[in-house]
Amino acid sequence: MPDTHEEERSEEGSVGLPDLGDSIDALTFEQILEMDDEDNDDREFSKSIVFGFFEQAEQTFDQMDEALEKKDLPELSSLGHFLKGSSATLGLTKVKDSCEKIQHYGQQKDEAGTKDEPDKQICLDKIKDILVVVKEQYEEVEKVLRRFYAEPSS
Amino acid sequence: MEKGADMAGASANNSSDFVRKLYKMLEEPSYEHIVKWGEGGESFVVLENEKFTKSILPKHFKHSNFASFVRQLNKYDFHKVRQNNEDNTPSIYGNNAWEFKHPEFQASKKDSLDNIRRKAPAARKPAQAQEDQFAPNHHIELINSQLMATQTQLQHLSERYQDLANGHVLLLKQVVDLQRFVKNHDGVMHSVMGFLHGVDAQTRRNSRIGGPFANGVNPGVDPMSNDASVDDHPASPLQQASDLLDQFSTENLPNKDLEQMTHDYQFRNDYSTPPTDHGASMAPHSEGSSAHLAFQIGNDLDNMVYPVGHTNGIDPINSEHINNIPYALPPNGMLPVNPMPELVPEVSPVSGRKRSVMEPIWGMTKPMVLLVEDDKMCAKIGSKFLQAYECGVETARDGLEAVNKINSGSNQYDLILMDIIMPNLDGVSATVCIREIRPDIPIVAMTSNIRQDDIDMYFRYGMNDVLPKPFTKEGMLKSLQKHLAQFMKGAPQFPNAPPMPHPSGFPVQNPSHPALGLNMAQLTAGPQLKEDPGSGKSPATATSWHSPNQIPGQSPVGPPPPGFMPPHMRENPYNMAPPHPHPQAGYPAPPNQPLGPPRPAPQQHRRVMSDMTGGPPEEHPDAKRQRMFPPPNGGYPQ
Repeated sequence: MPDTHEEERSEEGSVGLPDLGDSIDALTFEQILEMDDEDNDDREFSKSIVFGFFEQAEQTFDQMDEALEKKDLPELSSLGHFLKGSSATLGLTKVKDSCEKIQHYGQQKDEAGTKDEPDKQICLDKIKDILVVVKEQYEEVEKVLRRFYAEPSS
Repeated sequence: MEKGADMAGASANNSSDFVRKLYKMLEEPSYEHIVKWGEGGESFVVLENEKFTKSILPKHFKHSNFASFVRQLNKYDFHKVRQNNEDNTPSIYGNNAWEFKHPEFQASKKDSLDNIRRKAPAARKPAQAQEDQFAPNHHIELINSQLMATQTQLQHLSERYQDLANGHVLLLKQVVDLQRFVKNHDGVMHSVMGFLHGVDAQTRRNSRIGGPFANGVNPGVDPMSNDASVDDHPASPLQQASDLLDQFSTENLPNKDLEQMTHDYQFRNDYSTPPTDHGASMAPHSEGSSAHLAFQIGNDLDNMVYPVGHTNGIDPINSEHINNIPYALPPNGMLPVNPMPELVPEVSPVSGRKRSVMEPIWGMTKPMVLLVEDDKMCAKIGSKFLQAYECGVETARDGLEAVNKINSGSNQYDLILMDIIMPNLDGVSATVCIREIRPDIPIVAMTSNIRQDDIDMYFRYGMNDVLPKPFTKEGMLKSLQKHLAQFMKGAPQFPNAPPMPHPSGFPVQNPSHPALGLNMAQLTAGPQLKEDPGSGKSPATATSWHSPNQIPGQSPVGPPPPGFMPPHMRENPYNMAPPHPHPQAGYPAPPNQPLGPPRPAPQQHRRVMSDMTGGPPEEHPDAKRQRMFPPPNGGYPQ
């Protein structure tokens, strides 16, 4: 019923999309693109989502830097969780995974969030490293996405 | 004679062949003493019969039979000129002369020879006429027989239709009766639940005032604090029972289609008995339908005839052609307003959105969804998805706003999609607050924290389902279909029913089915766990669900981040699901199960629940008792 319908849509949607690279989950991102009006070639809706995410991500990174300076692990975890949600919604897999790690270390757990990591400094150091990585990952997807939206309805 | 027949055959090929031969013969001057044109050239005379027969006939007509020649002449309407015997004068050509005449056969008019035609046989003409008449008669007969056959066929069809319809009505009646039974049961369950909630609340209030754990959990200090939300909850076993009821109710949902069919059926039969009256209405209902049917057939006879006439080529006996007959087979025009649901064409509504509009799934009333989500982006996408599914959407930025919205107009929403981690008030606490006002509204946790203990907590605090983040359209649709089934196309609209039918999990409370609670829980938890998008966050989810021994490994030590609900309930919820007094039968709860840091609230709940279920305390296993009274200050992290 609707499932097959959705699949058809997805397959349909994947045709003609540019390669978004492996840091973006195509299926998830296509869901957003599908919400664009078909007769409206400028992808208004998804564009607003994506560019809203850019704003949000950059803001969150700043806040993370700030929290790192204050050694505020709970705040870091919260920020990680926050960015995790929006990046996951867009299918930005790598960014999402990194944010999840930050969230876990902020809770003084290990990377996967299953074991406790009582040493606060270890957690902060880890987050510091991840923050560098996640910013790179973000810049990569930002580039891809900005290119995608610069090309009119390719 | 034989040769004459030949000649006749030869001349038949060309009607004037004989005549032309005759003419040619008369042009021969050497025959003048045997055969010649008569005086004036308007007739011809055979002077010497014998010589003519023997010498001329074979030459020109390939036979020597004068009688045959005369017969041939007669066929061409030549007539022998009678000799005038009255005056007894001999013929001018002699006594033996034979004179033949035809108006068109004249020596000077060779052109008119073509006008001499062999006379048409008299018998043949009427025969042909008869044949022409036979054809229309035959056609009418054919049409009549086809008509008869079609009518017979229609009769059979209508009989079969009626049989099926009667069976259908009976089946629907059964289903509806069953559903009503379930609903009643459901109502009973809910009154019980309501009563238990009341008792539970009172007990909690009492224990808060004078309870031994009051110090650890002061709800008044900080409304944002997680402790407050913990303590404000109804007893978790109660909550869980509610959840199980909810879940079971959704398992029941497919039957709603049948109920709707009953309604449709009644509408189509113009039978306006309220749905609560099925038993009484059955007999007249069937009669009514048959009466309609007969009437319909009689009325439609004209319509039946004409199409058959036009489709002359089909064999009316052969039923596979029935679809070609261009009139509607079932007499469904009894009340044209209500076609069968499956006959409703799937017309997509014309709208600005195109691809983003899914197939319409709702009936007349579209559900209203409250989307509680602090992330603007997620809220935007979620709203868009919901709108694509034609739901009304309102958003709240956090739990506080959601609670306020519910407070200001508690009945305007039909479903709440609730983020968990939000500023000001988290989703779980908000759920607890909302439950005070809307005990029945489905609340779906919308989160990426879908570890088993997280899910346990959501369910314990009154949430009905989990929609893992990042949510997919499919996941969202499933959730909508599951919790808003009463809005779906084909679902019955009970005027007095609450928007969300009460859960109806009657078997859960049945002490003779100790394992059922667990099974139900698996049902509720299974799908969500499967929908885990593989975030890697919950590697132990699948196994830990059933094995409480793994849970202590997940207990955190550090303080939770602000606004984050700590996973209070480390214990497997099914240890504390005591609706059935024999948990050990269906659930292998280890008596000395390490539970992690015990907390006051669950203990209270257990005690409360055991009181509430009214079960004799001695029925509770020792394991349960042990957990009921753990050391009060045992490692409580906050």
